[in-house]
Amino acid sequence: MAHTITEACIGCGACKKVCPNLAITGELKSLHYIDAAKCIDCSVCGMTCTKEAVLDQNGKVVPRIKIADRMKPIVNKQECSACFLCADFCRVNAIKISEPTYRGDLNTYAEINFTKCVGCGLCASNCPMGAITMGKVEKPAVAAKENAVA
Amino acid sequence: MASKYKGYTGKMLDINLTTGKIGTYEISDRDRERFIGGRFLTTKILWDELAAGIDPLSPDNIMIVMTSPLTGTGAPSSSRFDISAKSPLTGAIGHSNSGGNFGMHLKRAGWDGIIIRGKSDHPVYIDIVDDKVQILDATKFWGLNTEEAQHAIGEKNAAKLVIGPAGENLVKYSIIACQDRAHGRSGMGAVMGSKNLKALVTRGTKKIELYDPEGFKKTIRKWIKMLKGHPATGDMAPKYGTSGFLISLSKHHALPTKNFSSGTYKDAIMLTGQTLAETRLVKNAGCMSCPIRCARVVNINGREVKGPEYEILCLLGSNLLINDMDAIIQWNYELDLLGIDSISVGTVMGFAAELQEKGLWNSEVVFGKKDNISQILRSIAYREGVGNDMAEGVRYMSEKYGGKEFAPQVKGMELAAYEPRGAVGHGLGYATANRGACHLDGGYMIYFEATGPATLDPYHYRSKPGFTILDQNLLAAISAGGNCLFTSWTFLPGILFKIPNSRIASWITTRVLTYSWITIDLLLGLPPSLLAIHLPMLPHPKALTQATGMKMHFGKFLQMGARGYTMEKLYNLREGFTAKDDTLPKRFTDEEQIPGNKKSKVPLGKMLPKYYSIRGWDQNGVPTAKTLKKLDLEDIRI
Repeated sequence: MAHTITEACIGCGACKKVCPNLAITGELKSLHYIDAAKCIDCSVCGMTCTKEAVLDQNGKVVPRIKIADRMKPIVNKQECSACFLCADFCRVNAIKISEPTYRGDLNTYAEINFTKCVGCGLCASNCPMGAITMGKVEKPAVAAKENAVA
Repeated sequence: MASKYKGYTGKMLDINLTTGKIGTYEISDRDRERFIGGRFLTTKILWDELAAGIDPLSPDNIMIVMTSPLTGTGAPSSSRFDISAKSPLTGAIGHSNSGGNFGMHLKRAGWDGIIIRGKSDHPVYIDIVDDKVQILDATKFWGLNTEEAQHAIGEKNAAKLVIGPAGENLVKYSIIACQDRAHGRSGMGAVMGSKNLKALVTRGTKKIELYDPEGFKKTIRKWIKMLKGHPATGDMAPKYGTSGFLISLSKHHALPTKNFSSGTYKDAIMLTGQTLAETRLVKNAGCMSCPIRCARVVNINGREVKGPEYEILCLLGSNLLINDMDAIIQWNYELDLLGIDSISVGTVMGFAAELQEKGLWNSEVVFGKKDNISQILRSIAYREGVGNDMAEGVRYMSEKYGGKEFAPQVKGMELAAYEPRGAVGHGLGYATANRGACHLDGGYMIYFEATGPATLDPYHYRSKPGFTILDQNLLAAISAGGNCLFTSWTFLPGILFKIPNSRIASWITTRVLTYSWITIDLLLGLPPSLLAIHLPMLPHPKALTQATGMKMHFGKFLQMGARGYTMEKLYNLREGFTAKDDTLPKRFTDEEQIPGNKKSKVPLGKMLPKYYSIRGWDQNGVPTAKTLKKLDLEDIRI
C-alpha cells in the first residue's frame, strides 16, 4: 500500500519537491496525486505537508515533523565501502564521500549533510553493506560538524 | 514479453532516429540463458539485425546500449554497462564497457537496453524518464565538450551519455562519456556522432527485482569484504591506481617505449602510480557501486579533475619519451573533454612520431617534444591539418604513409600500453582478441606474466594458449555478467602477494605456475557439468544465480564465456576477417626486443595453432560444427 493525498491538499507543491522517488504529480493550486507504483512509503511528503493532507499506507494521517526532528541516516564508518550508491539515490544531494584525512588515506565513507537530508531512508534501504541505519540524531548541526572533523 | 528471469527488466527500447519511431525489441529467454547480457547479448542482436559488410558510419549501423543482470543491483563494481555497434575503427565487432551511472539509471527506468537505428537529420538527444521516452532537439548543445554537455543537457540528477567534439567530427576512436568514465575503445563515439545523436539522458524510479534478495545480500556483503581484504583490490588498486604497475612493467621489458621499439624506459619512476600518489593525488575515487576505488583525482588550476590512468601515462609518456607527469595529467583532462580515447590516441601519436623520425611523413609529432602535443590533440578532434589523417587511426596512416611493419595495430585497433615482446602470452591475446589489439579483450595475460604477484615465465610460449583462453573466457563472462574486470584480481589468492622476495621462492612459483598449463588445458576440455562448483574467489556465478534464478556455476560461467567469445568470432568471420588478421605487426614477431636475446619476440606461429585447437576452431580460425554444437550455437550459420 502506498501513501495517498486527501482533499485537504491545497496544491502548494511542497511534497512534490521533496519526494525522493518523483512519485508525486499535480499542478499548482490543485489536488496532488501519488503514483502507487513509485511510492516507497517514506512519509517525507506527509512530514513536509503543512495541511497534514497525506495518509500513510495504513490510512493514518502522517503528522508534520520538522526536518531537524526526523529520523536520519547514521553511517557505520567501518562497514561503509564508499561505493557512492547511496549518494546516487539521494535526490537532495545530502550525501558525499568523506575527504581523506591525510595523503593516501583509504578509509573514506559516506558523509551525511543533516541539514539537507529529508530523512526518506532510500540510502539505508539501498546500501549493499547494510552500513546505514535510520536513527535519531540528537543535535543535527553539531553532529554534522563532528562528522566533518572526524 | 517479460522475462521469466529476475534481474532483468524484460524490456528493451528500439528507437529509429530516421523516422522518430519509438518501439520495443524482444529478446528471448533462450538468448538470455545463452548470452546472459552486456557484450554477448549485443553481439547476438548485431548478428540478427545487421547485414554483413555495411558501412559502420552509415545509418544502417545500429548502436546498442546494454545492461547486464547484475548492473545496478548493488553487487560490487556492478555499474558496468556495454555499448556495441559495428566498429568504425576496425570494421569488426565493436563493444565498449564502462562504469558510469547510466546503466544503473536505465535499468531503474525499466529498460534493459536501447537499440538506436537510423540517423536524425538534425542534432538530437534522447530523454528517458521511466516509460516516457522523447527525442528532443540538441542543436544548441552541438559542439559542447563532454563536461559542458553533461552540465547543460537534461535534469541535474539524471544519468547522461554524451559525445564530445571528436565524436561529432567522426574521429574513428572517439569516446562516449558518462560522468568521469568513458566508453573508450572501438570508436563508439563516432557511431553516435554519425547518427546526429549528442546525448542520452535517463532517470528511473523503479526497483530492480531479484530472485533471492536475502541470499544475494549475503553473497555481496561477503564479496565486498573479500575485495576490501585482498591485497590487489583492497590495497594496491586504491592506493596507486592502475599506474601502480608501471615500474614493474618496465622491469619486465613490457613498458612500450619509443613507439613500442623498446620495453624499458629510463625515467619510468617519474610516471608511476607511486609517484602520482606521493606528489599529486588529492584523493581516490571510483565508479558507482565499486569498493575498489582505483580512479584518481588530481588538481589542475585549483579544480579537482579526473587523474590519469596507467595507459595514458605510458602512451603519452614513455612511448613518446616524455617524462613530465604534469603535462600528461593536463592532456588526459583535455582528451576527456574533447572525447578521444586516450589509449588509441597515445599509440597514434607514437606511430606519428616514428613516421616523422624515419622521414616518411611530416607529422609534427617528435619524440620528447611536448609543447605542441596539446594543439595536435585538438586538431585530431576537429580534424584540422595533420589531425585529419591521425583521426583515422594507425592502420589508415600506415597504408597512406608506409611503416606497416612497425604500425602498432591489429585488425585496425591500436595496441594498448603493453609491449607484447616482454610478455608473449599478452601478444597472443592482442592477435586473437575479437575487437582488435585490446588488452582486456585479449585476456590481460600481463597480470600473470609481469604485473601480478606470482609470474608465469613470460617467454614460455607453450603454456600461453591455455592460459590466454581461460582468461579471455573468464574476463568476457565477467564483463557480460555486469562486473568490472578488476573483480577478477581476487582469482589469485592474496597469499601469493606475500611470497618472500627471494630468488628461490620466485623461481619455484614461476616453474609451478608455468607448468600448470597442462592442468589448464585439461580444465578447458572438461564438460561444464564436471565443474558444477562455486569457487570462493569467484563469486560471480553465485551472485548471478541469486539475482536471476538461472542455474549458474563455475563450469557454466566458463562455458558462457567461450560461447560469447566464439559468437563474436563468428561475427568477425561474417565481416570477412580471416586467420590472416589474427596477427601482430612484424616488429613484434620478427625483431628481437633485446638484441641478442632470441626469446624476446612473440612466437605467434607456434602459439596460434594450439590456441585454435584448444578453442575447437580449425586452423583457419573457423569454429567447427562440433564446437558450435557443444556451445549451443547450432542456429548460427555464416
